[in-house]
Amino acid sequence: MLLSELAPGARFRVQGVTIGREVGKRLADMGFNNGVEGEVVRRLFLSGPMQVRILGYNLLLRKSEAAAVEVQAETGQPSP
Amino acid sequence: MSGGTRQGRLRIALAGNPNAGKTSLFNALTGARHKVGNYPGVTVEKREGSRIREGREYRFIDLPGIYSLTAYSIDEVVTRDCLLDERPDLIIDVLDSTNLERHLYLCLQFQELGIPVVGALNMSDEAKAQGISIDSYELGKILGIPMTATVARTGEGIEELLDLADRAAAGGSDDLHRISYGPEIEPRLAALELAIAADPDFARRFPARWLAVKLLEKDGDALERLGSHRDAAAIAALARESAAWIGTHFGKDAEIVISGQRYGYIHGATRETLRLPGRRAASLTDAIDAVVMHPFLALPIFALTLWGVFSLTFALGAYPTAWLDAFFRWLAASLGPVLPGGALRSHVVDGVIAGVGGVLSFVPLIVLLFFLISVLEDTGYMSRAAFATDRALHAFGLHGQSVFPMMLGFGCSVPAIMAARTLKSPRDRILTIMIIPFMSCGAKLPVHVLLAAAFFPRHAAAAVMAIYAVGVALALGSAWVLRRTALRGEPTPFVMELPPWRRPTLRGLLWHVWENTAMYARKAGTVILAASILVWAVTSYPRHEVAPGEREAMAAAWSQAHPAAGSDDLEAGLSRELAERSMTYSFAGRFGKAIEPLVAPLGFDWRIGVATVTGFAAKEVVVSTLGILYGVGAGKSEGAGLRSELAADPAWTPLVAFCLMLFILLIPPCFAALATMKTELGWSWLGFALAFQLSLGWLVAFAVFSIGTMIGIAA
Repeated sequence: MLLSELAPGARFRVQGVTIGREVGKRLADMGFNNGVEGEVVRRLFLSGPMQVRILGYNLLLRKSEAAAVEVQAETGQPSP
Repeated sequence: MSGGTRQGRLRIALAGNPNAGKTSLFNALTGARHKVGNYPGVTVEKREGSRIREGREYRFIDLPGIYSLTAYSIDEVVTRDCLLDERPDLIIDVLDSTNLERHLYLCLQFQELGIPVVGALNMSDEAKAQGISIDSYELGKILGIPMTATVARTGEGIEELLDLADRAAAGGSDDLHRISYGPEIEPRLAALELAIAADPDFARRFPARWLAVKLLEKDGDALERLGSHRDAAAIAALARESAAWIGTHFGKDAEIVISGQRYGYIHGATRETLRLPGRRAASLTDAIDAVVMHPFLALPIFALTLWGVFSLTFALGAYPTAWLDAFFRWLAASLGPVLPGGALRSHVVDGVIAGVGGVLSFVPLIVLLFFLISVLEDTGYMSRAAFATDRALHAFGLHGQSVFPMMLGFGCSVPAIMAARTLKSPRDRILTIMIIPFMSCGAKLPVHVLLAAAFFPRHAAAAVMAIYAVGVALALGSAWVLRRTALRGEPTPFVMELPPWRRPTLRGLLWHVWENTAMYARKAGTVILAASILVWAVTSYPRHEVAPGEREAMAAAWSQAHPAAGSDDLEAGLSRELAERSMTYSFAGRFGKAIEPLVAPLGFDWRIGVATVTGFAAKEVVVSTLGILYGVGAGKSEGAGLRSELAADPAWTPLVAFCLMLFILLIPPCFAALATMKTELGWSWLGFALAFQLSLGWLVAFAVFSIGTMIGIAA
């Protein structure tokens, strides 16, 4: 599934960035790479931007950019 | 390698991610000795400084904070150009110890440039507090990048860092250690490297390994640099083919694969050397963000913050503003009798003191506004504001990061236009700069205050607020239109790091306030002084000589028109009529009459036309020009005198006053701001902005005046 489809509090494991060029490269540079684990911290209402925690830091991104990240939802783990 | 002998001068580039404490480290390394300039051809700030230690000179260049060495943003291009073209002896990479993996990502790209790299594991105190432990010696050995822990704020670790720098510079670049991109990619890199190295002239200028990697990443700038290679076409074809192969083999774009390999390599290197706490303790940042970035409350909190900044500015600023105002009034009153009468006195009192004093009395407001905005910036609120507003701004084609320059615009357009540099995409920058003047600046405030007090005495505050609101609405509307016409294109991605909240330092705050305010205060001393002298001169010359007998004829005509008037009234009426004649006769009068047809459709007479033109020197000059044109002489207090003079003048109605406020709000800003726009955008965009703002200002004022007249507001 896509990162953009996750609800706040959801944990995920990145499977890859699906697009190339500027946006895809930027996402990969910021750490969205195979196997990286993360958590959706919050989303602004009305499909506003979301805050995601990966590699121990926080990142803000729009829904359209989050839709370029393929993830696997991790279940069973309470968020720390 | 150039330079770098044991005791020679060392040229060191200071690089790293944003929020790594790079600027603090630069200050700790160089002390007060640094100068600020610009990189050639672009508007990115370049800071240089030096330090002498045991007879050796270290020269530092502070490079912009970046996340990766791509060429997508102007900061990245500047960093890349500096490293490739100036070839410093050494790069000190500043890394945030609390966020090591992502910061190492850039560090390894520096290593590929073939320049020795030393790592400063900065913020090591915070890392320790969070329970993060880093074996810097071991990590440095694995990566081939010597590392040491530093705390830039206290200067801890600086000596060790410079020791490492000495050693690394003496040793030259380390070719044994570098990332391995894996068995699929390495052979292709090797083939590219070999082909690049075949042109020795070219290979001397560009590190072959770095260029080979960049070509596989389909980097446009690297491809351009390849152009000077004798086999450029063949190498480009080979790179294209290799990238395509990687794409098919891995099932995703080559540039994404390479990023992944780099992170994989970092993960391997940190496995044994970096220990993170098992559970991340909830921090104060999390607690604050839970409120400030609340899904529903974030936007109202932003609005409340903005409102708070304004209320606080005006509430606290009222006192010093009143003191300054009283001081200048006292100065005018005490200088009046001392100076010789006539032209000089009227000039000094009405022109210089009123003009410059009028501006300086608003300086406390500007200082306060910039101070509060700097607090928001230095604590990290601006990233939260970008988060809160991006959804709304994006609807108008703007970017969440435009919010900071736009807020500065309420203070002064000049620093606001310069702050638009933080926007990475040129299109966003142009768009933001284009609409910043609509954010009503501190200099327009005296104009709004004067007119609102004169014509909307009972709703003055509401009238001024309405003007601010109209400005914001038209800024957003213009952005929407421009984004669909002159500035069409793909939206810029919003991918932003959210730094933790930080306690601002007083030194940092004062520095920001000084940077932003100096420009405004200097303007009062120079441009406005010159403008008020010029305005006084063009309204006084050429002198109107009264022909013999003319005065008697005027007196007779006046008495006939006012049969009940006494001799005192006659004198007053006559001098008023004479003043008006000499005004009409002056350069300003002739100029005003000439442009009157242009401003008449807006309900303005020639005097108002002249005032709007002098406003290009500085918007506050509109007030002093009206003062001179309406002959508010010495003795009367400037504000109240002009207010009642305007309110009584038949040419003015509340509708005209409101249209003038709109016109002043929307027409192009003062020369200082225009000059800044020119340096930031170039002549053609400046021309476009001028035409756009002038026509929008005219059309809006025209529409409001026409509709207002039609529905009978003027009466």
